[in-house]
Amino acid sequence: MSADDATSDSESVAQMEAPAVSGTPKIRVEDVVKTFGRITAVDGVTLDIEEGEIFALIGDNGAGKSTLMNILSGVHQATSGSMYVDGEAVSFSNPSEARAKGIETVYQDLALMDDLDIATNIFMGQFPMKGFGPIKYIDWDETFERSGEIMMERLGRDIDLNTEVEFLSGGQRQLVAIGRALAFDPEVIILDEPTSALSVDATRLVQDTIETLSKEQGITIVIVSHNIESVLELADRIGVLYQGQLVDILDPSETGLEPLNDLMTTGTLREGIRGDD
Amino acid sequence: MSTEEGFIRSRFGDTDDAVLTLLDNMIWPILGLVIVGVLVFVPQTLRNVRSVQLLLWAAVPLGLLVLAESLCLLSGHFDLSIGSIAGFSAMFTGMLLGTCPSCWNVVSSPWIGFGIILVAGALIGLANGVMIARVGLNPFLQTLAFLIIFEGAKTAMQTQPVTGLPALYLDVGGTPNFAIGVLLVAFLAFGLLMRFSRFGQAVYALGSSEKSAREVGIDTSRLIIVIYTISGVLSAIAGLMLTGFVGVVPPLIGEGLVFQAFAGAVIGGISLFGGRGKITGALGGVILIQLVQSALNNSTAVGATEIQMINGFVLLVAILLYSTQSKIRSRILASGSV
Repeated sequence: MSADDATSDSESVAQMEAPAVSGTPKIRVEDVVKTFGRITAVDGVTLDIEEGEIFALIGDNGAGKSTLMNILSGVHQATSGSMYVDGEAVSFSNPSEARAKGIETVYQDLALMDDLDIATNIFMGQFPMKGFGPIKYIDWDETFERSGEIMMERLGRDIDLNTEVEFLSGGQRQLVAIGRALAFDPEVIILDEPTSALSVDATRLVQDTIETLSKEQGITIVIVSHNIESVLELADRIGVLYQGQLVDILDPSETGLEPLNDLMTTGTLREGIRGDD
Repeated sequence: MSTEEGFIRSRFGDTDDAVLTLLDNMIWPILGLVIVGVLVFVPQTLRNVRSVQLLLWAAVPLGLLVLAESLCLLSGHFDLSIGSIAGFSAMFTGMLLGTCPSCWNVVSSPWIGFGIILVAGALIGLANGVMIARVGLNPFLQTLAFLIIFEGAKTAMQTQPVTGLPALYLDVGGTPNFAIGVLLVAFLAFGLLMRFSRFGQAVYALGSSEKSAREVGIDTSRLIIVIYTISGVLSAIAGLMLTGFVGVVPPLIGEGLVFQAFAGAVIGGISLFGGRGKITGALGGVILIQLVQSALNNSTAVGATEIQMINGFVLLVAILLYSTQSKIRSRILASGSV
C-alpha cells in the first residue's frame, strides 16, 4: 500500500499535503525503498523536511521509522530512491558521510561512556588538539571550555563537566548526548526516542531544549518516536509511518491523540475522526 | 535556566570530595603504610640507596607486565598470557642467540636479538587481538589458551637455563639504572599517552562501553588488536629485562607473573571492569607488590615455600580493596545524583 492508497482507503482521511512550506527543503527524501531480504522496511517514502522545523516521524513497532532514520543518518543505505540535503543529491555509505553534510544522530541508547566525565563524552572521538609539528595532543582546556559553552550557552544547563555520566539523571544524560551532537556543529539533529523512559520533569527538560535548538538556533530537528503526546506538544509537523509507508503528514494543531493512534495502528482514519473532532 | 542549575557542583560536601579523591588515589597512602611496616619489621629491605635501587630493578619486569595488563584492563579486556609471552619470547630469542650446548646459536648480533624478541611479542599479541576482535573469541579463553600454548612451547624448547647470551643483550636488563629508567620512561610515556592522546581516551571509552565507543566512531575492532599487540610488545620487553636481571634465560621464566601483574594493576586502582584507573596508580601498585615481595624474601619469619601462598593473599586483599573502594565510591556518588 502506498501513501496515496492509504489516503484513498478512507473518505475522511487525510490530505497528504503538509503545512505550507517554501524554498528548497533542508532534507528531501524521494521514493525511498529499503528492503532486508524479502522484507520491505521502507516502501516508497517521499517527504520534505524544512530548515529549522521540528519534524516528528511516528509509527508503531515495525512501521519503518527506525530504518528511515538510519537511512537519513547513514547507518543503512536505501535500496532505491533519492535523498537531497539543501537540494544536493546525497548518498551516505556511513554515519561519517552524513556528519560531513551536517546531520548528527542521537540514538536511543545515547552511546554514552558511563565511566567518563561529561566533557570527555561530548568530545570523544573529536577532541580539539594542539601541539607542535607532528606531535599533537588533546587540548583539555579547550575541551572543557567548549563543552562548557555547549552545555551552558546552547543547552542552558550549568553542569559540572567533571561529573561522570553514570551519575546523571535520564534527562541530563539525554542533554549530554545532544551536547555531543552539537559539538559537531550540525545543521540537522535526528533524535531517536528522545523522551522514552523519562520522567515528566525530564521530558519537559528535553522538550524545552529541543525547542530552543530549533526555534532559537535554527537547527532542523527530526524526532523519531512512538510517544504521540510528546510529539504533539513539540513537533511542527508529524509524519506517520505504517507498514513502511508514509500515510500522512499532519499539523499537530489540527490533529490529536486519537487520529494519530488510528493512523499508527491501521494506516487510515476512522470515518468521522479528523483532527480534534 | 534549568531548575537543576548547579545540581552537581553543590551536591557533595567537602568530606565526600575528600573521600572520593582519597579513593581515586588509594594506592599512595597504602604504599606509605606498607613502607612504614617494612621499615619497622623488615628494615633491611630498605636499609640504603642500594637496596632501594635493587628493589626497583627487580620491579622492572613486573612493572612492564603490570603496564601491559593495565592497558588491557582499562580497555575492558584482560590478558592472561602476558607472563607466557614474556617467557616464550625471551626463551625463543635466547635459543637463537645463546651459545649453550643445546642452544640453536644461529644469531650473534644482540641488535637482531632485540628485534626478534620484540617482533615475537608483537606477533603473539597481534594473534591474541585478531582472535578476540575479529574471530570473536572470549578474551579469557583466548589468552588462557595462549598462556598454556606458549608456556608449553617454552618448555618444549628448553628445560635448562640458556646461557652464553651477548653482553649487550644482557646489559639492557642487567644495568640497574638503565632498566629502572626504561620502566619509568615506559610508565611516563603511557601515562601521557592515556591522558593526552585520542588513542588513550579511546581505550577508556572502549573499557567503559564497547557499543558506545563504536557508535561514536571508534574502530573498536582495530583498537582491540592494537591494545593486545602493545601488550605483547611490553610483555616481550619484560622478558628481555628479566633475562638481563638474571643473566641467563631460566627455564621457568615468566611463570606465575600474570597473577602479580593483576594484583599490581588492581591495587594501583585500575578497574577490573574497564574504563577507570590511572597509569600512575599502576606504578604505585608495582612498587607495592615488589616491596612486599622483597620484604618477604628478607624476612626470617617467612620461608621461601610460603611466599607463593602469601602472594595469593596479596591478590585477594587487592580485590577486596578494589571491591570496597567501588562500593564506597558508588554510594557517595549515588547519594549526590539527582
